[in-house]
Amino acid sequence: MAIQERLATGRGKYTPGYPDLDTGPVSYEDSISEEFFQAEREAIFKRTWLKVGRVEQLPRNGTFFTRELVGLGSIVITRHTDGQVYALHNICAHRGNKVVWQEHPTNETQGTARQFACKYHGWRYGLDGKCSYVTKRDEFFESLPDDQLAMPQLRCEVFAGFIFVNFSTDAPPLREFLGEKLTAELESWPFEKFTNHWSFRTKVKGNWKIGIDALLEWYHPAYVHGRFLNTNVAEAEKLVPPMDSYHYDLFTPHMLTSVPGPPVLKKKTGSVGPAARDMNWAYRLFRAGLFGPDDIRTDLGHLTDDRNPGGIRAWSNDQYWLFPNLSIQLWGRGYYITYQYIPETVGTHAYEVDIYFPEPRTASERLAQELVVDSTIEFAMQDTNTVEATWSQLNNRALQTFHLSDMELMIRQFHKVVRDAVAAHQAGSEK
Amino acid sequence: MTTTATGLLPEPFRALEPWVTDWALATREERYQKRLSKTIDELQAFYDAIAPLAEDAIAYLDTRDVHALSDQDTRLLHLLYSMIMTSYPVNIFKQPRIPDSGAAYFDTAVEPAL
Ligand code: FES
Ligand SMILES: [Fe+2]
Repeated sequence: MAIQERLATGRGKYTPGYPDLDTGPVSYEDSISEEFFQAEREAIFKRTWLKVGRVEQLPRNGTFFTRELVGLGSIVITRHTDGQVYALHNICAHRGNKVVWQEHPTNETQGTARQFACKYHGWRYGLDGKCSYVTKRDEFFESLPDDQLAMPQLRCEVFAGFIFVNFSTDAPPLREFLGEKLTAELESWPFEKFTNHWSFRTKVKGNWKIGIDALLEWYHPAYVHGRFLNTNVAEAEKLVPPMDSYHYDLFTPHMLTSVPGPPVLKKKTGSVGPAARDMNWAYRLFRAGLFGPDDIRTDLGHLTDDRNPGGIRAWSNDQYWLFPNLSIQLWGRGYYITYQYIPETVGTHAYEVDIYFPEPRTASERLAQELVVDSTIEFAMQDTNTVEATWSQLNNRALQTFHLSDMELMIRQFHKVVRDAVAAHQAGSEK
Repeated sequence: MTTTATGLLPEPFRALEPWVTDWALATREERYQKRLSKTIDELQAFYDAIAPLAEDAIAYLDTRDVHALSDQDTRLLHLLYSMIMTSYPVNIFKQPRIPDSGAAYFDTAVEPAL
């Protein structure tokens, strides 16, 4: 039986179940207005917890990496001699030089250091940011506050191995912001066992929210991706599970969707048969496909009761959306992916895709990982290109209202949450 | 004279030695660049050469410690990575790039050592 009939639940539309969401046409002014972009940076990015990395990037005391967050600042993430993770503004207390960089001040860097030395006049800093040495100290004056000199710390908290920073001093703690549902369901995943890591980065000419929209619905895959798997569009449509087979949970400001997928291949017995120019043959050979490896490891403990909280049939993965710009996808076949969208201007964002597998025990496990990684990136390139084609046209304003189906309820919710956050911030600061 | 037997690959897979220079590449970035530099006919020629040996090559590598592969074995593994890299173009796209991806390009910032 085709996946369409097999997985259909007949549950009816999702959007009407959320009284805060309407079903009318929408505007994309929030994604093309320069004024809204500036307001969004103030209201959201300068006061919300933002993921900047993972603890595996700081394996020992004395390790560090930098992040260049356009419009927010250059920051240094460190593991100090006390074992704690710190986030520092990358600025020298003397005359403001950027302290940590190599060759090109705008490029991100990483490494190991006992202390940081400013390249301008040689002031030195511990990895907690405290200034430890001022060169030619005697030439300064009484006014130099030796005890207070520092690369300023910003708030930094670690959750499930993800390092988050917050540019605001009055935001609630990270766990409170994430909420009980997210913290419980995410913490049950053994992230520390998934250390075979690929990181892909690109810049996209489009508003960051338009980038996210492409990952928030399962309407486009048949058309953007599926028509290359099967040139007959009617057949390609049948590759994508029906709308009513997904699970959605919009727990403002975060969201979850659980996604169904194809069954795994039977355990390998005998040969895969003669070589063929046939992707299904290649999938059988490498025992992997678009939804992961076919031989699922049972030694990782990743398939806990927290997975598939909506109890969907043929469950494949849980996609958690952490407001504002991070997706953490937990895949049943034993890997996880993060997608992150970092705004740079109203019409550009940095896009980062990170894929994490367990360390492979055999060559065939490693090859299955390679196939999954390659597939993920192939299709991500079609997505980014489509995002650029969409944003450039929205920006021309030839049309100003657009239409979202029930399949796109997460897009409706996401843009509303962003607009509400901006409105709430503006209302608060007008008081 | 067995001209090609230079010991670049484990003995049962020496027939693949002519492909080593182009395709036994250690990084994904190099493999993807190589793919973009080739015509679809050239990609098909490589795929058609390695595909009939691939199942045996995987079985052979599975008898080895994947974390302590010899140089020969590592080259064979890299050739299999390249087979994966060329499989979508050959089997589906019929061109080196995925269709409708324009100038889209992902830099590989991190990848496993192996
Ligand atoms: S600006 Fe850093 S030492 Fe002068
Ligand atoms: Fe997509």
